[in-house]
Amino acid sequence: MTGTGDAASVSVLVRVAPADAFDVFTREIDLWWKQGPQFRIAGRRRGQLFFECGAGGRLFETFESARGPRTFEVGKVTLWDPPRRLELEWRGVNFKPGEKTSVEVTFAQSASGTLVTVRHRGWSSLPEDHPVRHGLVGPAFSRMIGLWWGQLMTSLREHVETRR
Amino acid sequence: MTDLDGTLIALSDPTRRGVIDLLRRKPRRAGELSAALEMSPAAMSRHLRVLRTHGLVEEDHAGPDARVRIYRLRREPFRELRKWLDDVEVFWAGELESFRRHAERTRGPGKGRS
Repeated sequence: MTGTGDAASVSVLVRVAPADAFDVFTREIDLWWKQGPQFRIAGRRRGQLFFECGAGGRLFETFESARGPRTFEVGKVTLWDPPRRLELEWRGVNFKPGEKTSVEVTFAQSASGTLVTVRHRGWSSLPEDHPVRHGLVGPAFSRMIGLWWGQLMTSLREHVETRR
Repeated sequence: MTDLDGTLIALSDPTRRGVIDLLRRKPRRAGELSAALEMSPAAMSRHLRVLRTHGLVEEDHAGPDARVRIYRLRREPFRELRKWLDDVEVFWAGELESFRRHAERTRGPGKGRS
């Protein structure tokens, strides 16, 4: 696992064709996205993740709360190029309006299947005064993907990597 | 507040990140830092205090002139930040592994396309 500057980057080789990988990644996201408070806003409540296909489609989670059904939109699809590539906005639970990061997913054919790579970037576009706060909902979730720590990550990753 | 919070607060300012950049190359006197970043010694002193408070830098008086303070980076806070960033990648690695298992179970070799 390596990343540079502004991006975290992770890959996995999956033994299916790119078209299948793309399809599973999007349409079936609720079937493979991990369950539990570290991974879903719904936490231990029953919830569901939806990935609407096509540019402008949304990735969102629905779940039951004490005040009735709720929806949290992670972000909209900004690039839809099946079966090679997609990009979407990514907002954490306590991002302010207008604050977002981006996730790019590429599907590259290989001899034994498809190399799927996720690049999560855009921390440097978050405002400098972005509050350094722990999560309001699901601290573990926030800790993992609450990238509102934002711009700091850019400088810090550079610092850290050059100091190895 | 955790140590990590403190580190992030200390790095939340562009001047302080500039100081870190300069100190990464070598330890420096406060005067060098304020000159390099075009800032008054008083303002630089306030920034250095924040960095010191949160443990990102340390000062010593070990130079030839004991009145001159030399600032240097401390390594520990950066290790912790690196670990946090690794957590982000661990998060995605876990999701992608879950994705791989599901995809291969339903569409992998020997499975018909659904």
